[in-house]
Amino acid sequence: MHQPSPLYRRLLLMAATASALLIALPSSAGSRILGTGAVSAIEGAAGGGLSPWAVLSSTASDNELGATASATQAWVDDYQLSVASASINVHDRLELSMARQTFELTTLGGELEQTIYAAKVRLFGSVLYHPWGIWSAGMMHKRLKDGSVPTALGADDTRGTDAFLSASKLLFNAFLGRNVLVNGTLRNTSANQGGLLGFGGDQGGRAWMAEGSLGVFITPNWIVGTEYRQKPDNLSVAREDDWQSLYSAYFFNKHVSLTGAWLDLGDIAGLPSQQGGYVSLQAAF
Amino acid sequence: MSLLSIASRRIIFTFLLLSTLLMQGCAQHNSGATLSLYERIGGQPAIEAIVENLLYRIAEDEEVVGYFANTNIDLFAESFATQLCDISDGPCRYDGPPMDRAHQTMGITDAHFNRVVAYLDIAMRHEGVSLSARNDLLGRLAPLYEDVMRLR
Ligand code: HEM
Repeated sequence: MHQPSPLYRRLLLMAATASALLIALPSSAGSRILGTGAVSAIEGAAGGGLSPWAVLSSTASDNELGATASATQAWVDDYQLSVASASINVHDRLELSMARQTFELTTLGGELEQTIYAAKVRLFGSVLYHPWGIWSAGMMHKRLKDGSVPTALGADDTRGTDAFLSASKLLFNAFLGRNVLVNGTLRNTSANQGGLLGFGGDQGGRAWMAEGSLGVFITPNWIVGTEYRQKPDNLSVAREDDWQSLYSAYFFNKHVSLTGAWLDLGDIAGLPSQQGGYVSLQAAF
Repeated sequence: MSLLSIASRRIIFTFLLLSTLLMQGCAQHNSGATLSLYERIGGQPAIEAIVENLLYRIAEDEEVVGYFANTNIDLFAESFATQLCDISDGPCRYDGPPMDRAHQTMGITDAHFNRVVAYLDIAMRHEGVSLSARNDLLGRLAPLYEDVMRLR
């Protein structure tokens, strides 16, 4: 089995050290309520594991700045994904994030790497207080490091940009006295397997995709839920399925969260029904 | 991937969604038939203890306490307790100023608003209020944000 990349290992170590310190030492945090910064999705933006949500990362409020760093690892039957990501939140209005994904083809051999630069703007509202929740729009610019495999599979491009509109709302006391978090995202994308298999192909290009999630805060620190992400199917030689997860995220405090998930990613690059586990550690400041 | 397994994945998701919605209906049905939120919080003694606990937390926050520099704290405590009693379906009627006028030109920031909400939640927890009653009360107060912040 391949070893995670050195960059990833370094970031994991940094995130783990920062988390240990932040659990041990009290330090100042943003003013937003615990958990409202969500976790880091695999593309770097604040969200669930698979999909960006409308909330902005960390707990920074209207006159505060926040930052997050996270390390994520996913294992499915024939692949392994490592993500190192970081974000900043300016005044709970603008979120800028960056993610480096390394996708190891454990069965086929080789690896794919992409970098994602993203920006998300809160258009209006609040996940807690506004009757319509919080609404945000964002862009994700994705660049593959070496596009030879995706190009060989029939992808048109090795760079692409997603645009998305997202809404999130916390429903107080909605399920057995617990608060429920709902999120919906519409994404305009041409990315195959999130971009790891390039952009566009012989079967299609840019299209709107729907993503959604539903989670229950069992306690104020612990949310359990499910997420769904519709995906395009642009490559005839590598059919693509929608993604789905069951997740559990624990917020030790405003600084440290640990997310675990069960993933069902369907077919990837010709290998069928990829399922497996997901772990993500986030430190927020 | 076979059509069957795609269908089964869709079904799992739909099932989770539906069961959540159904159980929500049941939960509301059960709690509605028994105790009011006011009773679940613990009635007037609990509400007064919560307000006092909240005031201590506000007093310790150098930034938030500034808003209360010219406030008669006893009157505020009484008025806020009456509002909590009213909004939780207790035997009170809040007849103080509307929320926009009560907070006008104070310049309350989102950060300070969030901090007060967090203090209220900790205060309730300290006074032994259950998670579901806390969520219920916070859910009733949350929509007041728009009014509290309108004339800020
Ligand atoms: C949903 C949230 C809130 C509710 C339900 C609420 C409720 C109330 C009530 C019932 C009063 C008494 C009005 C009167 O009888 O004159 C009041 C006054 C006051 N509130 Fe709030 N409040 C909220 C949020 C806040 C926040 C976030 C702050 C500051 C950070 C704040 C600062 C004050 C101050 C300083 C007064 C006293 C005004 C005076 O001196 O007349 N409130 N509030």
